[in-house]
Amino acid sequence: MLSSLRKIADGLIGLSAFVGTLGLVFVVLVVLVDVIGRSFGVPLNGGQDFTQMGMVIIVFGGMALCDKLGGHVSVDIFERSFPDGLNHVMDILAALLGAAIFVGIAYTVYDSSKLSQMLNLTTNIVNLPKWYFQWALSVLALITALGMMLRAVELTLSGPAARSAKEIRE
Amino acid sequence: MSGEMIGLVGMLILLVLLVLRIPVALAMFAVGFVGIWALRDLNSAMSLMASESFTLASSAELVVVPLFILMGNVASVTGMSARLYDAAYAIIGRLRGGLASATVLGCAGFAALSGSSVASALTMGKVSLDQMDRFNYDNRLSTGVVAAGGTLGILIPPSTGFVIYAILTQQSIGRLFLAGVLPGLLLLTMFIATISLLCWIWPKFGPEGPRTTLSEKAQAMVGALPVLGVVILTIGGIYTGVFSPTEASAVGAGLVVLIGLLQRKLTFARFWAAAKDSVVTTATVMLILIAAHMINPFLALTHIPSLVGEFLAGLDVGPLVILALILLTYLILGCFLEGFAMLVLTMPIYFPVITQLGMDPIWFGVLVVLTLEMGLISPPVGVNVFIVKSVARDVPLGRIFAGVTPFWLAMFATLVLLVAFPQISLILPNTMMQ
Repeated sequence: MLSSLRKIADGLIGLSAFVGTLGLVFVVLVVLVDVIGRSFGVPLNGGQDFTQMGMVIIVFGGMALCDKLGGHVSVDIFERSFPDGLNHVMDILAALLGAAIFVGIAYTVYDSSKLSQMLNLTTNIVNLPKWYFQWALSVLALITALGMMLRAVELTLSGPAARSAKEIRE
Repeated sequence: MSGEMIGLVGMLILLVLLVLRIPVALAMFAVGFVGIWALRDLNSAMSLMASESFTLASSAELVVVPLFILMGNVASVTGMSARLYDAAYAIIGRLRGGLASATVLGCAGFAALSGSSVASALTMGKVSLDQMDRFNYDNRLSTGVVAAGGTLGILIPPSTGFVIYAILTQQSIGRLFLAGVLPGLLLLTMFIATISLLCWIWPKFGPEGPRTTLSEKAQAMVGALPVLGVVILTIGGIYTGVFSPTEASAVGAGLVVLIGLLQRKLTFARFWAAAKDSVVTTATVMLILIAAHMINPFLALTHIPSLVGEFLAGLDVGPLVILALILLTYLILGCFLEGFAMLVLTMPIYFPVITQLGMDPIWFGVLVVLTLEMGLISPPVGVNVFIVKSVARDVPLGRIFAGVTPFWLAMFATLVLLVAFPQISLILPNTMMQ
């Protein structure tokens, strides 16, 4: 059960990083086409709209993989002076806190997307509907939360001994 | 409970969470959210969460962050850093300590491409440590110079440190980039002077390297020309007003990719890996920024920043003493906190004080970014030192910290010079960008 969930979560995390990377390539191309077009007197219509909305995909597309790779900055100078048990509990709490925050982001952004839809909020130049990107942000945040939640469960089941063994291997 | 008391309790909880290794962004986010809930209501906290997450993630100004990171990552995987080092090595490598000076020059060049101190230390460490080892350089000097040289990335434009400072304080990114040029060159000079001094006192620290012929020198310089061209075009484009910072970052990334393809150094797989890595790094930086925008309104509601400001402004000392106190706190915090986290946590408190005292925010930005750099090599959590350690696995951490100490002192001397002579930072932005 847990291993199947892990496979699904890893697949979703990989997919979200893929989408984020695609977003980055898209944004580079949009800005380049805009700059080159401008030098010929034909700038890309709505270039800024595309880059701004593309940025949403880049930022939240990378969140889940960033968490999986342990990329979030933490102050670890006291780690060695704490007992393994405490470090283990803190790892679980950090994962749970992260999951709660990302569920919160997903929920609140989804909620505000309803307002955007009702007010027909779009980008300034080419009128891209903002709520589409708010939905995308919510989905990507949920994937991040899923990865964190699963890590919390795995850590709880593995116990502090697994942490020590991992440290020794490293 | 009064707002001030809630603020103090919030700060205390934040400190405990940080000590217990909760990721900085998550700790700030949680404290900011709960704090606003306590001071206002749940709806305010939730609507701030939604608005800040989407607004910052879709910020036009912040598009430069992933694009400059991509430029640096592609330059790294295509070996452009190695060609910068080769050029510096061919010119000054045969002098005593010359390989170390070449490393610093390479770091400066790479920093101008990547904007990241960690990337500079990592890539230049991979390129130069073996070379210095081969010529019997003392490993304190070789590792120290890579760790310290890497820090140039956050001062020499384009610098992600300046971008974050600009966003937090509503300053011009272009002016800040320009303000970083002369201090960056000054620091570079100080580093090279430090190497010369060390090798003059202890000649065995950095023996002479091999002599290179004129044609070898010319060949190495030609190899570095495309990289230097990218730097001049992107940074020059911002200063001359041809590009906005966002456009410059995309043009830089595009050019680096183009050069990599033309030189047959860039495959699709390498490019994709570099792009994916850039997305992950962007997520790290952006989550800290989003969290900062959660905790800053909380701090403002508690009135703590204004109280600190009033306290500092009310001290019976001159503005320079207050500035020195602020910088001192950065130096101390830099020993424990990551640079960006430190910036976002302190700026809402210190920035109003600086403006209240009538100090130039661009100048202050340069000073703060330099102190962040010092944190990168300060024990016990000097990130660059650990990066170098990951490349030079056989060198004990204590020796690397010993090696960076003279460079830390050089940075401190540079900081004193920048405080004493604000024009070093301000002359370029004031004359070139009004």
